[in-house]
Amino acid sequence: MKLDWSVPWQYRWMLADGVLVTVMLAVLTMAIAIPGGIAVMLLRQSGSRVLRAVGAAFVEFFRNLPLILLVYWSFYVLPIIVDIQLSPFATGLVALCLNVSAYNAETFRAGVNSIRAGQRNAGLALGMSRWQVMRKVILPQSTRRILPVLASTWVSLFKDTSLVSVIAVGDLAHNALQIRSQTFRVLEMLTVMAAIYWCLGYPQAKLVDWIHRRYGVSE
Amino acid sequence: MSAVGGRDAGRKGADRPPIVVYEGVVKRFGAFTALDGVSAQVNRGEVVCLIGPSGSGKSTLLRCTNALEAIDSGRVVFDGAPLPRRESEARHVRRRMGMVFQNFELFPHMTALENVAVGRSTVLSEADGTAKVRARALLAKVGLADKADNYPSTLSGGQQQRVAIARALAMDPEVMLFDEPTSALDPETIGEVLGVMKQLADEGMTMVVVTHEMTFARRVGNWVIVFDHGRIVEQGPPAQVFDAPREVRTREFLSHLGWGGDSG
Amino acid sequence: MDIDFSPVLDNWRFLGFGLMMTIVLSVASMAAASVVGASIGIARSYGPRPLTIPLAFYVDTMRAIPVLVVLVWTFFAFPIATGITLPPFWAALVALSAHIAAYIAEIVRAGIASVRPGQARAALALGMSRAQVVRKIILPQAIVRMLPAYGSILSITIKDTAIATVIAVPELMRQSETVAAQSFRPMEVFTTTMLVFFLLLFPVTRGVDAIYRRVAHLGRS
Repeated sequence: MKLDWSVPWQYRWMLADGVLVTVMLAVLTMAIAIPGGIAVMLLRQSGSRVLRAVGAAFVEFFRNLPLILLVYWSFYVLPIIVDIQLSPFATGLVALCLNVSAYNAETFRAGVNSIRAGQRNAGLALGMSRWQVMRKVILPQSTRRILPVLASTWVSLFKDTSLVSVIAVGDLAHNALQIRSQTFRVLEMLTVMAAIYWCLGYPQAKLVDWIHRRYGVSE
Repeated sequence: MSAVGGRDAGRKGADRPPIVVYEGVVKRFGAFTALDGVSAQVNRGEVVCLIGPSGSGKSTLLRCTNALEAIDSGRVVFDGAPLPRRESEARHVRRRMGMVFQNFELFPHMTALENVAVGRSTVLSEADGTAKVRARALLAKVGLADKADNYPSTLSGGQQQRVAIARALAMDPEVMLFDEPTSALDPETIGEVLGVMKQLADEGMTMVVVTHEMTFARRVGNWVIVFDHGRIVEQGPPAQVFDAPREVRTREFLSHLGWGGDSG
Repeated sequence: MDIDFSPVLDNWRFLGFGLMMTIVLSVASMAAASVVGASIGIARSYGPRPLTIPLAFYVDTMRAIPVLVVLVWTFFAFPIATGITLPPFWAALVALSAHIAAYIAEIVRAGIASVRPGQARAALALGMSRAQVVRKIILPQAIVRMLPAYGSILSITIKDTAIATVIAVPELMRQSETVAAQSFRPMEVFTTTMLVFFLLLFPVTRGVDAIYRRVAHLGRS
């Protein structure tokens, strides 16, 4: 077996490009899925039964679906239904946002519910509105519960971006697999791809552990 | 330091060799010295109460008694032999002592009956059936015969602690160690646990009790040891310690608890 | 927009086989990952340092790399590196198990750590040996406490099997793609697949929750 490690180096800019797309996908997804998750959570806590059902259905549906299927569905089916042709990047972004928003909604709901009802009553008794109670009393306290879970979701999301490679979004996985099929340096390219993901993901996993230790609430 | 136990001729059990002797026991947790040269003894048939402010070393001494904590210097002598340092040998000493914890520490995945039987079946390798017969009798003794099949989560705090006492008694211990057995209880269930403990004392069980229940220490205890900052401040019979404390710190501690003196 | 579900109906055997493969791959991966993961978790909790350090590295590595990457590496690169060729199903089984074992190891370790130290003290005070304490007192409680997390891992495993489509394992995702491509009816096919996955996963999540609610008290010390 003869290995040729010059190939990954030769294609370094294409790999760097892939890393950039991966990071951008993850950042944009989280930036959209945090307000998205809050919105869905508020749906689930609203006064209307219909809205609550819609919120619950959204969460249950998108959490109980393989992400790769959602990616394919967004790519092949979504354009037929809404009649808009999205770029692969935008399609991947839509799929990731739907998925992560559902998880975030559940994270926010659990965090908010972990605060005693007395706190809410105390806020209402002061004459605050429900929204003020949420913003001034509940959310600041539930941060300790929410932050560690959000951090774990971020790490999962970062890895999950690799799944959009199947619809030819130029992320790290896709670019690495492309180089592999162009050069036939399979072992080298796949190992380098794994190594790059490791370098990006390992510190994140460690950071999340630290956040859990620092902010995590043990029962 | 005032009166050291054994020389007190009037002290209960003074006619026989003591069951536990502490000789200059030192225990440190990092930079914190939990026990700073503690010497005392426990006679057979005696109820010794350890009192003092929180964090003064009482509970630590109790855990050093059955080698749950290793000491840094000094010795703890049980029935004439120093406690072994090796875990495998410590086990043989532990099974001769019963321990009751502040938070009960019943095993949540076992029924009350299984909790009481598990010591005999796993540690003494007794047949399950035999161990359970014994367990049932002990549950009856603590007044919980009808709760044998209940899981701990369905019992009140007082009931859980009585099961825990039965669990410790199942090993036929020579001494019972109580670590603040009523501190985690609702006021209305404290009485039932203290009642069981009083009954044990009346039967002649040797007991070492860390407690904040001064009335219990005063009425049931035979010997009281007052702790502060890892040292023994004062020890003696309850009448002396509660009604005529010699040390200022004992008086401060007692008045802090609102103990106005109870000459009974 | 015309809708035609006949490709789904015409190919129900083909898709049904995919569903069966999804279930078989999920169950097999979960079983293998549970054995490996539990061993790693217990070894990390009670093992000597020379053992825990490489195990920690393994777990953190698996947590850092996407499962897709592990999957393609196992299928395409592993045979080149070792000379051992794995058929797609076996490559998927090995890759998924190796990946999920790391997550199970973490929940086992967390479950063990979450049992109050007082429980071990109480058991030691009865005279039990360390091994008896772990086997009779700690692990039974830890298992109950792990249940919700274990349930999430099960549902993650089922979802991750769909990624095996990239190495052409004929599971439900792969079979659906084939039918969608041949029939030019991606909307009907993929929507059906979505519903099937949902109907498979939703009861799993709910079922584990329900079981946990019934036994939770057994782990609450």
